[in-house]
Amino acid sequence: MAVEHVVAQVTDIPEGQSRIVKIGEREIGIFNVRGQFYALPNICFHQGGPLCAGRISGTLTARAENNWKFEWTHEGEIVTCPWHALEYNITTGQCLAFPNRRVRSYPVRVADGQITVTL
Amino acid sequence: MITIKAADGQTESIRVVDVDIHLHEQPKLMAKYCDLPWRKSLELMEEEVGRYNDIPGFSTGPRLDPPFPGGAAARKVMTAMQMREELDALGVDIGIIFPDHLLTLALLPNRDYAAAVARAYNAWLLEEWLCDNNNLKGALVAASQDPVDAARQIESYGKERNIVAVYLPCAGVRPLYGDRWYDPLYDAAQRAGLPVVLHSVAVVHPVFPLNLHELDTAIARHTLAHPFTLIANLVSLITSGVPVRFPNLKISFAEAGIAWVPFIMWRLDREYTEQRRQTPVLQDKPSSYIRKFFFATQPIEEPDDSRDLVKVMETFGGEDSVMFASDWPHHDFDHPRKVAQLPLSPAIKKKIMGENAARLFNLDGR
Repeated sequence: MAVEHVVAQVTDIPEGQSRIVKIGEREIGIFNVRGQFYALPNICFHQGGPLCAGRISGTLTARAENNWKFEWTHEGEIVTCPWHALEYNITTGQCLAFPNRRVRSYPVRVADGQITVTL
Repeated sequence: MITIKAADGQTESIRVVDVDIHLHEQPKLMAKYCDLPWRKSLELMEEEVGRYNDIPGFSTGPRLDPPFPGGAAARKVMTAMQMREELDALGVDIGIIFPDHLLTLALLPNRDYAAAVARAYNAWLLEEWLCDNNNLKGALVAASQDPVDAARQIESYGKERNIVAVYLPCAGVRPLYGDRWYDPLYDAAQRAGLPVVLHSVAVVHPVFPLNLHELDTAIARHTLAHPFTLIANLVSLITSGVPVRFPNLKISFAEAGIAWVPFIMWRLDREYTEQRRQTPVLQDKPSSYIRKFFFATQPIEEPDDSRDLVKVMETFGGEDSVMFASDWPHHDFDHPRKVAQLPLSPAIKKKIMGENAARLFNLDGR
């Protein structure tokens, strides 16, 4: 059954930053991307690394419309697992290296200055 | 210890030996163990944060690519206590220590200096990292520039309980390790009963096979540097007959995974069928010697179907010669469970996670 958990105060996590919280046995990373909050599991599919403890940044991408030149995109939306550098889009849980790999993105709600996550 | 499923369906705790972990050596801390005049050089070296394996006059970093924000941070292990704590967290019981900066030792052009740095490292390692109650073991660093001095180091330290191997730096080594230049080193290692471990690192250098400036990305260069250097040195060792000339020398390879082994083994066997007289020292086909070598797992290949990797291992008798390595704390380290989760029998898991290494490095008999 889905249960809502209060995990932090809005003021605890400034824009561009994150915090890892524990709900029962599960570790969850809470991220503030341009004022929107996101929650991802703190475990990488690859070798189980603490992906939410990684650095937050943009990343390099390339597309045909720009003749496959390197572009700096997704500023502030990417977290990189500190173990083996797999990148995840914080706003979707999508792993950048593998189209078919995505971590869960837990529902987050903000009310009365509190951040709640539904598991 | 890690837990695996035993044959009877119960769980079982098994010992984990990790044959490749790295300390971070700082030249300033090693200086007091270094002979003059080279001590003066180490004393002058300041380590800049962020310049990993990149100290002028000491280690040559492979930094050719533009930096960008984000990415993974470089990890370093500065003390024995830190190493012990981090290995405990990984479930590693016994770890065999290799250096960081001195992965590029073979690139130092000054022979006497290179040998002095190796001696300083070995003395510092023994004094400040290895003790009887932390289950940290050490590999002596051999300066390839001076095999006679390396042989003396092996003679000096060969009976130390916590010295279990001789590390042969492969990045940029010249000549390759099959050359008779190294015979004194092999003779000493054989007499001491210490296995040699060939271990590379990704650098760009004019010396074969590291002229990787042809490739414009780190992913391309790093993909090739490790297996290229190990393949080149393995071929050199086999074709010059090192395993025949030193029949009791124990030889192992680290840090290129294991999938390259059947490729070069079969190719050498095929060449041997028509070119045996090029290498009359060999008394049997190359694979008969390669099957006696040992191979460290990291970075373990990750095929979609892990049974393919098991099959690869079987091609060269890996059940008895593959050894778990994490390469902690480097960026491409492997967690023990990655290897322990391969579809292998519990008996073979025990061999790969610890027993093969215990046998090669004589961990229980020293």
